[in-house]
Amino acid sequence: MSVIEVYQAKDYKSELKPIWCPGCGDFGVVQAIYRALANVGRPPHEIAFVSGIGCSSRIPGYTTAYGFNSVHGRSLPIAQGIKMANPDLLVLVAGGDGDGFSIGGGHVAHAIRRNLDLTYIIMDNQIYGLTKGQLSPTSPKGLKTASSSYGSMEDPVNPLLYVLGYGARFVAQGTPADMAGLATLIEQAIRFPGFAFVNVLSPCVTYGQADQQLKTQKARMESLDALGHDPSTRIRAMELAQEYGTKLYTGVFYRDPNPDPTYEVFMAERQMQLDEAKLPRERILDLFMPQQ
Amino acid sequence: MTEDLIIGMAGSGGDGVVSTGDSMITACAIEGYSAMLTKSFGPQIRGGESSFRLRVSTRPVLGPGGTLDVAVALNWEDFLKFGAELPVGGHTVVIYDSKSGVAPNALPLRGVQPAEVVPVAIEQMARELAGTEKAKNTIVLGLMAGWFGVAPDSILAGLRKRFGKKGPELLEKNEQAFAAGRQYAQEHPLRTLAPMAPAPAGPRPKLVTDGNEMCGAAAIFAGCQFFGGYPITPSSEIMHFLNREVWKYGGSMLQAEDEIAGIGACVGASFAGKKALTATSGPGMSLKTEMLGLASIAELPLVCVNVQRGGPSTGIPTKSEQSDLFQAIFSAHGDVQRPVLAPIDVEDTFGMTVEAFNIAERYQTPVILLSDQELSQRKEAVNRIDTSRFAVENRQVPGEGELEPYVRFRITESGVSPISHPGLPGGNYLASGIEHTETGAPTANGEIHARMNEKRLRKLQPLKARRDLFLVEGPRDAQIGLVAWGTLAGVALEAMRLSAAEGLRVKVLVPKLLFPVSEQVYQDFFASVKRGLVVEQSHLGQLYRVIRMFVDVPKGVESLARSGSNPLSPEDVVDRIKAQVKAMQTEYAPVQQVG
Repeated sequence: MSVIEVYQAKDYKSELKPIWCPGCGDFGVVQAIYRALANVGRPPHEIAFVSGIGCSSRIPGYTTAYGFNSVHGRSLPIAQGIKMANPDLLVLVAGGDGDGFSIGGGHVAHAIRRNLDLTYIIMDNQIYGLTKGQLSPTSPKGLKTASSSYGSMEDPVNPLLYVLGYGARFVAQGTPADMAGLATLIEQAIRFPGFAFVNVLSPCVTYGQADQQLKTQKARMESLDALGHDPSTRIRAMELAQEYGTKLYTGVFYRDPNPDPTYEVFMAERQMQLDEAKLPRERILDLFMPQQ
Repeated sequence: MTEDLIIGMAGSGGDGVVSTGDSMITACAIEGYSAMLTKSFGPQIRGGESSFRLRVSTRPVLGPGGTLDVAVALNWEDFLKFGAELPVGGHTVVIYDSKSGVAPNALPLRGVQPAEVVPVAIEQMARELAGTEKAKNTIVLGLMAGWFGVAPDSILAGLRKRFGKKGPELLEKNEQAFAAGRQYAQEHPLRTLAPMAPAPAGPRPKLVTDGNEMCGAAAIFAGCQFFGGYPITPSSEIMHFLNREVWKYGGSMLQAEDEIAGIGACVGASFAGKKALTATSGPGMSLKTEMLGLASIAELPLVCVNVQRGGPSTGIPTKSEQSDLFQAIFSAHGDVQRPVLAPIDVEDTFGMTVEAFNIAERYQTPVILLSDQELSQRKEAVNRIDTSRFAVENRQVPGEGELEPYVRFRITESGVSPISHPGLPGGNYLASGIEHTETGAPTANGEIHARMNEKRLRKLQPLKARRDLFLVEGPRDAQIGLVAWGTLAGVALEAMRLSAAEGLRVKVLVPKLLFPVSEQVYQDFFASVKRGLVVEQSHLGQLYRVIRMFVDVPKGVESLARSGSNPLSPEDVVDRIKAQVKAMQTEYAPVQQVG
């Protein structure tokens, strides 16, 4: 007999008070995460929530899950180690656009191709907030910031195309301007078997651009569902993803209709196949006995 | 009878030089000899010249030794490329393929006059008896067996095993080649070298393996269930070993996209409650530094092996050096300390690796295990290890009374706080690289920061009392004291033996725990001698300088340090010992009264 427990959003909310500025988009993101987790219904102690460094990376501490607020750009390697060590856990990863696509950009491709069952949420505000307003990898070209007084001379990273190009099997975008919609997207990402990516346009009220704030987003956002987008083809998803920076699409860009088995499935198979071939640990040195 | 024999051999790729060395060390292990095999290759990825040095002894082999007793040159061009690695001296017996056309009195050995020179028609014998020059190495095995009596039956058994699979014809030819080599040796006895004395009684066969594989096996024994790393010379064989083995024990391994991700995954696995190992060499250590700091402040157990090679930067990837000690101890920002251990040989690598895991688990800290290229890739025939002598420790998990609320970083008397892991109900907490309160909440409070620093440093203090992590050998009343670590311990111990034979009283201190520094151990040792030498394979003499940071080193304790890839030999150490003795005599000479 197992006791079926029902969890509510408040069960995932910790007692820590967020350090975020009043009006920060990340408040909406954490609310959406509470709701998504309640719908999925895993107890907090079976969830590991990993982040890097940045305003948004404080987020694990605001949940009751096992949290790991690690170092800048390295949330994905740590999360993969956790998932490999204990595949039964629900593993969430989150951070900012700088954490994920600048200092940690090298890890994204490999997390995607390894395809462990992780959910990666980027809070994309197109600016560095914690360090007080420098250029980020997703800042639009020409943006004037503390570190680009005369305007940026670089093209921004397109996070959606980036992950679609590397073969991500679930790619969605949301905004805290539509918190209910965002919660649904995160829930779908968690339920998707494999690496799932959600880009969240979460505005910075202090250093962000005026046209990125929640009010403007509400007016600009277009639901992919309402547009009749079929998320089962990668090429169509990539066409729409090219509009990043000009249009604000929300919803699922791509969901692999026939997802491959995840890395954990291969791991379990290998562990099972090799189990019988092992020597007792205390006799491991027999491997070095010369054959007579 | 010969008690201790050093054979060196070189040839070109395809001559089977390395397999000759492997056959011989395996045979020695089966017969119960102690042995050490070091291999060296040219820089080519494949092919090119190759060589080995094999030391066989009736006593434990402490190091690869210096000048060769026997030099085997399949051709002179390749042999000479190894220079100082295959030194020929006045007592060496030189055996070479007469096909090279060099006259015995005109060897290209820069004026060295070997004790005995024996040209043998090795290639011709191989062609005539086995129908292929590929059997040259089998002829050499026969010669060695014939002259030195080293394990002929076991070598023959090895040949049968190796060639048996390839058909009866090839096996028969190789058996003939082996017999011919043996017969040739018996018909042409050496003047200056006697056969090996029989191996002493004891369990046989001995084990044969190298430092990297021993490290991997010890990790499995210690309960390691995760390996994360990135290919790098000379540590990759640790990854190869765990890749084969760790899955069998319900664990997993990750060849990560870079060194940072490799250790990052280990940090994650450790957070998830599993014992984790990463292995690398100097350049990889540089990249892993930030993650080591994270593991220190988040108080997560982790073992990081650094198989040292020549540095800085790419340096000399295939040669040994002890120049990463500063890095192991000091490469961190913030007030952080982490234990640093170093094994001295292949057998000791087992115990030190298990110790590294135990210390990591007990104190919830990353531990660095400093190996080096030579130790990691040399094979040794070593005594069987009774694994029941080694306890395996596991991290302290919170009891029921300590959960809900769970105080992850509780300041305890020992400084160690019980650690939970995801999946454990009621143990939920926030791990972080940010300074935190006892419950794990981020803080910038100076008072809490000071208390947390104090807790994290205090918990490692008991290590300083671990006398079992130091080795002291030699006469109590020795006048000269040597300090040496890692593979140089064997060199120092051998120098002690050689000195004793010359009537010099020398003792040796070997620290296997390099950090934290046990001040008292060094103070006591230096106080017990008149002069001292800290012997190490690095240009700066890094251990000497580290000791001086923490200990008032008396006058007369000097550094004997040399860059890697120029191995310090026991004879080099004895020369410095003699210089010290001489200086001491001058120092203590009574003043002559005049008039």
